[in-house]
Amino acid sequence: MLDLRLPSGLFFTLLGVLLVAMGILNPADHGALTDLNVNLYCGLAMLVFGLFLLMLARRASRKQS
Amino acid sequence: MKLAFVDYFILALYFLLVLGIGWLLRKKISTSGDFLTAGHSVPVWITSLAFLAANLGAQELVGMSGNGAKYGIMTAHFYWVGAVPAMIFVGLFMMPFYYGSRARSVPEYLKLRFDEKTRTLNALAFAVMTIFSSGISMYALGLLMRLVLGWSFETSVLVSAAIVLAYTFLGGLTSAIYNEVLQFFLIVVGFSPLAALAVWKAGGWSGMASRVPAVMTHSWKYMGSAHQNPMGIEVFGMVAGLGFVLSFGYWCTDFLVIQRAMAANSMSAARRTPVLAALPKMMMPFIVIVPGIAALALSKMAVGYDLPMKNGGPDYDQVLTTLMGKFYPSGMLGVGLTGLMASFMSGMAGNVTAFNTVFTYDIYQSHIRPNAPDSHYLMVGRLTTVGGVLLSVGAAYMAASYNTINDLLQLVFSFVNAPLFATFLLGMFWRRTTGHGAFFGLLSGTLAAAATHGLTLAEGKGAWIANLHEFPSPMAQNFYIAMSAWTVCFLTTIGVSMLSEPRPERELTGLVYGLTEHKHDEGVVWYKRPAPLAVLVGVLAIILNLWFA
Repeated sequence: MLDLRLPSGLFFTLLGVLLVAMGILNPADHGALTDLNVNLYCGLAMLVFGLFLLMLARRASRKQS
Repeated sequence: MKLAFVDYFILALYFLLVLGIGWLLRKKISTSGDFLTAGHSVPVWITSLAFLAANLGAQELVGMSGNGAKYGIMTAHFYWVGAVPAMIFVGLFMMPFYYGSRARSVPEYLKLRFDEKTRTLNALAFAVMTIFSSGISMYALGLLMRLVLGWSFETSVLVSAAIVLAYTFLGGLTSAIYNEVLQFFLIVVGFSPLAALAVWKAGGWSGMASRVPAVMTHSWKYMGSAHQNPMGIEVFGMVAGLGFVLSFGYWCTDFLVIQRAMAANSMSAARRTPVLAALPKMMMPFIVIVPGIAALALSKMAVGYDLPMKNGGPDYDQVLTTLMGKFYPSGMLGVGLTGLMASFMSGMAGNVTAFNTVFTYDIYQSHIRPNAPDSHYLMVGRLTTVGGVLLSVGAAYMAASYNTINDLLQLVFSFVNAPLFATFLLGMFWRRTTGHGAFFGLLSGTLAAAATHGLTLAEGKGAWIANLHEFPSPMAQNFYIAMSAWTVCFLTTIGVSMLSEPRPERELTGLVYGLTEHKHDEGVVWYKRPAPLAVLVGVLAIILNLWFA
């Protein structure tokens, strides 16, 4: 059966890359109530989460084969 | 709120992902069991997150953050008292009978334990209610998207319905469950940064506490009498009404959530599902309620945030989306919005997948056409999925055109649901309970709920028979209606059972406590056993209650 960690890992990795890129390209783009580069930090967190899911999926498929 | 291209791109990416998952899962479906019950093959971490996420609809996100701004941390009672204990109970004590009986649905358990009429009563009520709750949730989505983004009601409702239909039709329950897990991830990823940013801006917990009334930062301190707190409820009403009757009635008997645990790949996994789900459940207040309190604090700080208004009063339903607009740039805004859309859609998918199972097995197979080959029921299951989505869209439009019908339906549903837990409790733990007892208990409990509503008043609602008592809030009225329904159902079930013929005990093996062999999972590490996990979860919930008391 499809390992859910694979598609969701890919999704969050992609989302992370996209947000980190936005955070780097437009560092001045922030919400009205904060000066933080929200896209950059949240993007990094998503990237880590996505890669973590991919790693788990890879480990599981190795164990099986 | 204005969305940029990248926000639409993220939303589109998510739509592609859910459709792709449905497409990949389609090959797995060869029997009606694969489609409707996920073939009892889903790993426990997935069933646990789906168990939680099936209940975590967007209405809850939007509503609970609004309640945070309105009532404060007292709202967490809906989690720490009104959910966690019931989730532990259903996992430890009730799942052995649901999963062990080999029933395919909660109504089917009632058929095995009691009789056909009790099952049919429960199945019909459940089928009608799931369609309407799915429709009402779609209606809420259409309203919110129109208000926040200016999208047309038609677009939001029809696009989300089409996507839900596509992925549930292709992959059945497995597809719905997978997407619920994704939705849960998106909500955590999309909304926990918002909570952190809002709390930080409001000066942390102590900064918030210094700016909002003291009653909003204590969950128990002002519960001594109903007039001390804005919810208008006191300790007994809250613990008995919400913590016992309503919470156990929902978490222990509602097929929408139970179905997720029944999809697990072993008895132990099915029992751990609700217990493990309780861990993230008790953390949800930090993501949904605390930002609401922060919003109220921010509105008093002259930093450029005001509570959204409607008709001269605060519009609490918009607290979450206005916070997003103030803290998120394009990009994260798209992620937050996608999380909101995802929870609307998986709420709908959850209802549709529970509806098609109950319709196919408990109504069609038992009353319309029994003894057909399995492929026939698979086809009926798929067609019911289409029918369920179409009916939900119809219900959404009905809710949009007749607001009063909407309120009336929700009231009737609460009457039907209130007595349920008494029936299941007696059925599972008292072998003398009979089918007649269960059936008439349920009917009398529902009547008792309606009568209590007709005899009491809260904010001008109710008392259509006579006005004997006035409650300080509709919430208090609701809790006491539930208690009276439960008590009447409990006593009637016992009374009628004593008067009717008991079932021979050999027929009840596997269905009732005391007549069921329990396999103990000794020799398994503690974190894979339900009981030690339940103790851990229970202790954590007590600590949270004390911490924010």
